[in-house]
Amino acid sequence: MALLDIKNLTLEIDTDNGWIKALDKANLSVREGEIQALVGESGSGKSLIVRAISGGLPPQMRLTADRMTWRGANLLAMNAEQRREIMRRDIAVVYQDPLASLDPSVTLGEQLEESVPYEFVGKGWFWEKQKERKRIAIELVHKVGIKDHAGVMSAYPHQIASDIGQKFMIAMALVSQPALLIADDPTRGMEATTKVQILKLFKRLNQTKRLSILFVGHDLLAISSMSDSMTVLYCGQTVESGPIKQLQKRPLHPYTKALLDSAPSFRADLPPKSPLVTLPGTIPTLQHLPIGCRLGPRCHRAQKTCVQTPAVRKIHDHFYSCHYPLHTNNS
Amino acid sequence: MTKILLRYLNLLVLTLLVVIVFSFTLGYLFPGDVYTNLTGLESKAEALRYLKVDSDAGFFSLFIAYFSNTLVGQWGVSSITGEPLFSEVLLSLPATLELGFYALLLAVVVGLPCGFFAGLKPQRSLDMSILGASAVMYSFPVFWLAMVFILIFSLNLEWLPMSGRVDLLLNVPTVSGFIFVDILLADNIDKGHAFVDALKHLALPTLSVSIITMATLIRAVRRSTLDVMRKPYIIAAQSRGLSSAQIFLKHGMRNALLPILPIMAMQVTTLITNVMIVESLFSWPGMGHWLLQAIYQQDYPAIRTGLLAVAGAVIVLTIIIEVLSRLVDPSREKFDRVAV
Ligand SMILES: Nc1ncnc2c1ncn2[C@@H]1O[C@H](COP(=O)(O)OP(=O)(O)OP(=O)(O)O)[C@@H](O)[C@H]1O
Ligand code: SF4
Ligand SMILES: [Mg+2]
Repeated sequence: MALLDIKNLTLEIDTDNGWIKALDKANLSVREGEIQALVGESGSGKSLIVRAISGGLPPQMRLTADRMTWRGANLLAMNAEQRREIMRRDIAVVYQDPLASLDPSVTLGEQLEESVPYEFVGKGWFWEKQKERKRIAIELVHKVGIKDHAGVMSAYPHQIASDIGQKFMIAMALVSQPALLIADDPTRGMEATTKVQILKLFKRLNQTKRLSILFVGHDLLAISSMSDSMTVLYCGQTVESGPIKQLQKRPLHPYTKALLDSAPSFRADLPPKSPLVTLPGTIPTLQHLPIGCRLGPRCHRAQKTCVQTPAVRKIHDHFYSCHYPLHTNNS
Repeated sequence: MTKILLRYLNLLVLTLLVVIVFSFTLGYLFPGDVYTNLTGLESKAEALRYLKVDSDAGFFSLFIAYFSNTLVGQWGVSSITGEPLFSEVLLSLPATLELGFYALLLAVVVGLPCGFFAGLKPQRSLDMSILGASAVMYSFPVFWLAMVFILIFSLNLEWLPMSGRVDLLLNVPTVSGFIFVDILLADNIDKGHAFVDALKHLALPTLSVSIITMATLIRAVRRSTLDVMRKPYIIAAQSRGLSSAQIFLKHGMRNALLPILPIMAMQVTTLITNVMIVESLFSWPGMGHWLLQAIYQQDYPAIRTGLLAVAGAVIVLTIIIEVLSRLVDPSREKFDRVAV
C-alpha cells in the first residue's frame, strides 16, 4: 500500500490575474520504504507540492484533490489537530531554503531540542528531560556530519554557513524518527564531498530504518543512483512517473526524454563533441500557461489533440500523460 | 558587546554636549544680558562669581565655565524666585518621568495583546475593530482628548479629580519626587487612602497621554505579527507539528517584538511632548507645567535650563531603549553602526 497517495492535486493561487492553477491534477504516490525522486525544472511546482503535503496553506492558495491519503487516512478530511499529529510524528520536511526555515532569534540548539517529541524523553524532572533532549540533539547533529556540535548548537542561524544549515535542517527533520522524509533540494549548492555524505546518509537511513524519502531535486545523477522511482513534473502537471530504471531506459513522455538527455553525464552512449540536446524555449510563467498539455508549445511531437489535457495512462506501474508517447506503436 | 556599549556611550556624550552648546547659545539669543541669562543673577559681579570667570573672559572660556557648572549641577537660579534651578528641575522632572512611564506602561499592557490578537487573525472582525479603534485613537489631538476627559469624568460625572498628583490635604512630603515612592516613605498618613487618591489623580492624565502611543503600538505590533507569522520559519515550525500556541509563544512573539523596541525608542520624544502638554492641562507639577510658568514669567534662565533638562532626559531614555533593543536582538550584527 502506498504510504502517501495523492491523486489529481490541484493548487490554485490567487494572483493579480485571478486564480491560477499552479498545480494541475498532479499525482504522486510514495510507497513504504522507497526513495522517490520528484524532478522538474525550476518553477515547475515541486516546492508547492511539498507545501501542499505539509498543510497550513495561506489563504491565497486553494487546494483540491480527488485523493490525498496518508496510510489510507484521508488527509483532507482531517481536522487541524490530527493533521498536526501526522506532521509531528510521521512526516518530516526539509524546506528548500534552510536558513530561512530557522528562527533567527533562537539558537540552533534550542530549536533542535524543542523538536524532540516528548515521547522520547521519558519521565523525570525537567532538567533530566532537558539533558535527554540535549543528548538526542547532539547525537543527531553528529549523525548528519556536523562535527563541531557545541559551536553549531550555540550559534544563531545567521552565524552559520549554508551547508551547515542544510545539514542541520536534516537533523531537525530526523529528530522525530519520521516514516517519510520530504527533502526539498537538500543538497543544493553543496560541494561534491558533502553532497555524497548526505546522499549516503539518506541511503543508509532508507536501508536500515526503512525511512521512505521523497527527494526533490535537479541532480539527475544523484537521483538515479539512489532512488527507486521517479516522478517528473512539468509546469504543475505530473507528466510521467514510475520505476527509475524504466524511465531511464524507455521514457515515454517527450519531456522526460528531453530532461534525461539534457544531463550529459547521465548518458553513457554520448558521442564526443555532439551538441547538447535541449528543449527549445523556456518553462512558461504562471501568467501565460498554455491550455491542454502545458508542454505543447515546446513539444516537437505536438499535434492538434494536445490542446486537450492528456489523461493519465499506465503500462504496469509506469504512468504517463501524453497523447503521442515515445516508444509506442500507436503514434 | 563592550565595544557597542562604548559606542552608545560616545553617542550619548556627544549628543549631550551638543545640547549644552545649544543651551549656552540660548544665553546670547534671549533678550537681556548674557551673564544674567546664563546664571539668573541680576548683577554682573555676582554672575561672574557664580561662573567663576573674569569679566574679560572670552566666548570660549565662558563656555568652559558654563559647561563645568552644568556638569556639577550649578544651573543658575530662577530670575523670578531666586531658587536654584537644579533643585527645581529635580522636583518637577520626576513627575514628568512618572507620568510618561505609566502612560507607556498602559500603552504596552493594552497595546501588545491587542496588536497580537489583530495580527494573528487578520481581516477578521476582531482585527477590524481593533484596527478601527486604533485609527480613531490615533487621530485625537492629545490636548483635546484631555479636555474631553476633564469635561466628562471630572466636571460632569465628578468621578475623578482634575488637577494635581494627590490631595494636598494629605500632606505627602516630597522625598524622591515619585508620588508612589513618596507615599510609601511618608509617615503619619493613611497610606491606603493616599494610594487610591494618587491613582485617581493619575488616571486621566495617563489615559490622555497613552492613547496615541497605544494606537501607534497596536498598529506596529499588528503589522509586525502579520509579517512574522508568514515567515518560512513559522511555516517550518508548523510542519514540525508544533501547536499554534507553541509557535506563537516560542517563535512568533519574540520575533514580532524585536522591531517594536526601536519604534518605541522613537516614540519617547512624542510621549514626553504629550506628557508636557497634558501636564499643563491637569496642573500636574512636572516639567511641562514648570516650563510653561517660566515662559509666562519670561524667566529666561529657567527656560534655558528646562530645555536642557528635557532634551537630556529624552536623549538618555532613547539611548537606553536602543541599547536594550540591541541587546535582545541576536541577529543585529555586532559590528553594526550605532544610531538613534
Ligand atoms: N506564494 C506564491 N504566490 C504566487 N506564486 C507562487 C507562490 N509560490 C510559488 N509560486 C509560483 O509557483 C511556481 C512553482 O514554484 P515552486 O517554488 O514550487 O517551483 P520549484 O519547482 O520548487 O522550483 P525550484 O526548483 O526553483 O525550487 C512558480 O512559478 C512560482 O512563481
Ligand atoms: S501531449 Fe502532445 S504536447 Fe504534450 S507531451 Fe505529448 S505530444 Fe507533446
Ligand atoms: Mg523549489
